[in-house]
Amino acid sequence: MNCNELREHYELYAIGVAEEPERSEIRAHLNRQCEVCMQGIKRAREVVALLGGTVPPAVPSAALRRRILASVAVEQRRFGWAPFLAAAFAMALFAAVYFGGRERDLANELARVREQNSRQTIELTAVNQAFAILTGADTTVTTFGEGQANPKGKVFVSPSQGVLLIAGNLQPAPPGKAYEMWIVKSGKAKAAGMFQSAPDGSAMHMQRGSVENTDAVAVTLENQAGADQPTSTPLFAAPIRALIQ
Amino acid sequence: MMIPLLMAVHAAEDDTSLVARMQRRDPNALAELYDRYGRVTFSLIVRVVRDAGIAEDLVQETFLRVWNRVHGFDAQKGSIGPWLLAVARNRAIDYLRSAAGRQRQSREFEETDLPALYCDMEKDILSSHKARRVKSAVEKLSPNQRHVIELAYFEGLSQTEIAERMGQPLGTVKTWVRAALKNLRDELGAVVPA
Repeated sequence: MNCNELREHYELYAIGVAEEPERSEIRAHLNRQCEVCMQGIKRAREVVALLGGTVPPAVPSAALRRRILASVAVEQRRFGWAPFLAAAFAMALFAAVYFGGRERDLANELARVREQNSRQTIELTAVNQAFAILTGADTTVTTFGEGQANPKGKVFVSPSQGVLLIAGNLQPAPPGKAYEMWIVKSGKAKAAGMFQSAPDGSAMHMQRGSVENTDAVAVTLENQAGADQPTSTPLFAAPIRALIQ
Repeated sequence: MMIPLLMAVHAAEDDTSLVARMQRRDPNALAELYDRYGRVTFSLIVRVVRDAGIAEDLVQETFLRVWNRVHGFDAQKGSIGPWLLAVARNRAIDYLRSAAGRQRQSREFEETDLPALYCDMEKDILSSHKARRVKSAVEKLSPNQRHVIELAYFEGLSQTEIAERMGQPLGTVKTWVRAALKNLRDELGAVVPA
């Protein structure tokens, strides 16, 4: 397809709803640095970028900045501890120069390795947070579904740090559906994140942050987009307050 | 309903040097990038995933991804903000699709291999003034047009998935999407010069 035929699809592509074959055609044009399509997509992306600036304001925790900067520091330290990686990098740089034109591939590979490293750091952070809930001085454990074929498991609640749900016998959600956890307080349910179970029926989900005075933790099956309030009967609900007191 | 994000996304008069410092692996530059775009990035992601804890993980992933891929961004060409937000949106939608058990939709090509596609944008494209203009443009859309744009942008749904979600024929949804994008383009003509 020529650029003129693709022109009407630039914005659909930019927002992610272009269909085949136009999507592949635009990609092919961009991949070969087609100037007409590059310019068209840039303009279309400006409209999409503007949409991103219209969301309701929200404020992250102060700890997030430290986490991000710490993970970069970890990354740099890890590279410092592994001289062989530095040697491999030097050899890779030499190869890049030698083979000329492959710098970009090499840089992308390096970026991929760094990302893998970063992702592991993030996962480690999540594991540490789960561990903190499991071992918290104020953590209580509630068992639900014991002796039943239905979903069963444990809920760990640390009022100061969050809730960790570990469940079994939780069948994979039907297409278009997902599980949603709820924190019930004074009769009101507050959404606490969506999750899926593994093919073997196991599931783990964590909600971080203060969960003072939680009465119960419940799980419902919802549409995959999530719901602000439960729209179905809870699959299970674990009462909490009685054990905390 | 969309409300303009009237928070401080300062005009990126110095994004050029910021990008250059990141390319030299200066961690302080990453701190400045976070101070400049952290809130708007978090706001966008939390709007998509509706969970503050998960959103923070994804913000962290977004900034590290940009940090690791910044070598591909031309430091001389404009603000890094639009690229950062594109990465953030894609991370959030990928998470949403994964959490909902839907097939992950690869957006790698656009967001990482060609960050140059985010160069040359106006330096203050994410300013509060422009957010107000966009809010106004979005509010002028019909309810159906606004809904399809929100489902596409914030949930990453395809036109077929939007049709299923709304219980409408695919052809109707396609008409709404095209009309919405055309109206936005017309309304934002002065903001995004052709």
